[in-house]
Amino acid sequence: MSRGHRTLAGAALALTVALLAGCSSGAGVDVGGGDAAKGGVLRAAIGGEPDQLDPHKTSAYYSFQVLENVYDTLVEPDAELQMRPSLATEWRTSDDQLTWTFTLREGVKFSDGSALTAEDVVYSYRRIIDEKLNAAYKFATVKEVAAPDATTVVITLTAPTPNLLANLGGFKGVAIVQKANVDSGDIRTKPVGSGPFSVAGYTSGDRIELVRNENYWGAQAKLDGVTFTFVKDPTVALQNLRGDEADWTDNLPPQQVPGLRDAGNPTVQTVASNDYWYLALNQARKPYDDPAVRQAIAFALDREAIAKAAKFGLATVNQTAIPRASSWHYDYTPYNRDLDKAKSLLAGKSGLNLELMVTTEYPETVTAAQVIAANLDEIGIAVKIRTLDFAQWLDEQGKGNFDAFLLGWLGNIDPDEFYYAQHHSEGTFNFHNYRNAEVDKLLEQARVQTDQAARKQEYDRAAKLIVDDASYIYLYNPDVVQGWSDKVSGVEVRTDRAIRFRDVALAR
Amino acid sequence: MRRFILRRLLQSAVALLGVTLVVFLLLQMVPGDPVRVALGTRFDPETYEALRSRAGLDQPAVVQYFSYLGNALTGDLGVSFRSGEPVTDIVLARLPATLSLAFTALLLALLIAFPLGVISGVRSGSPIDHAVRIFSQFGVSVPDFWMGIMGILLFAGVLGWLPPSGYVALSEDPAGWLAHVILPAATVGLVTASILTRFIRSSVLEVLSQDYVRTAEAKGLRPRVVVLRHVLRNALIPVVTVVAVQLASLLGGVIVIEVLFAWPGIGRLTFDAVQARDYPVLQGAVLLVAGLFLLVNLLVDLLYARLDPRISVR
Repeated sequence: MSRGHRTLAGAALALTVALLAGCSSGAGVDVGGGDAAKGGVLRAAIGGEPDQLDPHKTSAYYSFQVLENVYDTLVEPDAELQMRPSLATEWRTSDDQLTWTFTLREGVKFSDGSALTAEDVVYSYRRIIDEKLNAAYKFATVKEVAAPDATTVVITLTAPTPNLLANLGGFKGVAIVQKANVDSGDIRTKPVGSGPFSVAGYTSGDRIELVRNENYWGAQAKLDGVTFTFVKDPTVALQNLRGDEADWTDNLPPQQVPGLRDAGNPTVQTVASNDYWYLALNQARKPYDDPAVRQAIAFALDREAIAKAAKFGLATVNQTAIPRASSWHYDYTPYNRDLDKAKSLLAGKSGLNLELMVTTEYPETVTAAQVIAANLDEIGIAVKIRTLDFAQWLDEQGKGNFDAFLLGWLGNIDPDEFYYAQHHSEGTFNFHNYRNAEVDKLLEQARVQTDQAARKQEYDRAAKLIVDDASYIYLYNPDVVQGWSDKVSGVEVRTDRAIRFRDVALAR
Repeated sequence: MRRFILRRLLQSAVALLGVTLVVFLLLQMVPGDPVRVALGTRFDPETYEALRSRAGLDQPAVVQYFSYLGNALTGDLGVSFRSGEPVTDIVLARLPATLSLAFTALLLALLIAFPLGVISGVRSGSPIDHAVRIFSQFGVSVPDFWMGIMGILLFAGVLGWLPPSGYVALSEDPAGWLAHVILPAATVGLVTASILTRFIRSSVLEVLSQDYVRTAEAKGLRPRVVVLRHVLRNALIPVVTVVAVQLASLLGGVIVIEVLFAWPGIGRLTFDAVQARDYPVLQGAVLLVAGLFLLVNLLVDLLYARLDPRISVR
């Protein structure tokens, strides 16, 4: 984008603020650039286009990159992923842990100036639950949501839910939306939230323009706005950053990141994320129903080599799900590469053929698979790599048509999210058919355990069983990578990949 | 003339109907489920069923097709599975970007291909002919995305003359549009130019061997006049067809190039729709492209009559 166009965009933004109505970005009205004390419009190049901007209906990470700046939740995770007040300033739980009472911040407004009250919270949660929207599973234990007055929300539960705060604030998929905005259908392209920015324009295929929300309840954002463009190719995104066509991107070519990080300008930072990547073996198929075979595979893997090939070293190897930085981390590393042990566990079952399913949607799985194939070849397992596009991959996963697959889980915070749906016999994400009654019991107990220390112990015991059984064979926690030009300050690279521009400033 | 156009329009309608059926059948056969993609790995059976029935995917395929067709006849192409927006709006919004890229690329291609093709045909066997043939071989065989990336690295990276990617509407900021369109149009145009150059060269060669050219030369006309008046005019007819086919394929959106340059056209829309198995959008995009294709062909047939009095439209 040329400087001339930036001025034009600034004018269009100012006009939009004045009108507070959807005006096309083509408005060529000569209005000044906005408040000179604050600063500028940040140009962010993200790797793809949101499918839509309704936070309750989208599942695309690209949508949440934008929506993180537009919407609020009752609570939100801080840098250490502890839940902190956001729209709710305080909360208390009843003695039986079945009633949670939240007190909302006074005077909160949506970006269009209308008040955000407890009724909006009830409406938002009921919408997710009643219409069975994507985040409905986060409300599995919620019996009732009520608004006795404008600043009080009471949530009644069917069972104690110690991770309720993580469910209500972990991501913007449970954001508080405005009923009028939903009813008009505008929420898909012109969502109205209460966050630090509001959506001023959305040109399909091209860009999304945010402007500072003057009605924001917190400290006003320093930027006048943020313009998101969608650049799929990381080499092109890097060129945008270098050529001053973009100020920030999280889509950098991984092989160049270590060099860029050392070079300085643009600034490139990497932070260990809360995501993990794993290998799952189909336990409904022989011989992968035998824990010894799964353990043999776990012993044969060279995790360092896998992480190096898949992420160019931008990852930390791991043998349990939850990364080191989390207070829920469980330090347990039984599988150090040992080919003799692997062979003896296989007990003459060599000559196996394993079909490993990977997807082009996540190129790192394709690369990692090659190292895994080489590793397993050394213990007499011939790996055939099956590369699919994501739609077909998901289809096959759902039907159970695989020996093994590679994938990751992104954005989990509470241990329940790391373990229950994946490893409980009845878990909705248990595509690999893991069954262990003891694990089931522990996961059920921990789910409703309100004593934090006891809860940690229960998850540690479950984690040990899951790792010993090689339900998942954990590989690594990847880094979050972001780069920005030297004009940008205040960027916080977060372990949960939330992109928050409210504290970011642009030197001019 | 009017009857000819009417008949062609009727034929086009039948062809479009065929297109909807073929696309629908193909989509039924392609593995992958739009609702699974929409949910990603966070698959919840209840949400899945709710979404499927909301999108009408729980209906039998025959019912789905005829309800789609019924709505399409009234101009309603349905709504996108991904965004819920009307398909007609989505597809039409992408048209200006694709049109402006296609015509710029074609213009560049013609500017390159015409002189090169004619010179290389007339001076067949000369060093300049060899050079032109190497150029067109290069353009045809080198993948366009590679040329695109090299272009970005050189002109946006090393030299810093052009923006690496992005789009500005022509109606909004013509200078900005021009700066952004050059690289993608040159990349696509180079490939198209290579194809056209070869056709023009062989067409010129063929005409040169005709008796009337020999006669013209025997009459003592200067070579310049022979080429301009006799050769070019006759060589043009097959070339027009190839140019039209090239234009039609450019109008279909240059998927790889649009994705690479973040160009918000039909090609990129098609790419995203295939990835997400967004059937309504894919149908809409293919219908629009098929419609443009038929339109271009109709115009070419009319143009033939202009170029060659021996052809008449009835």
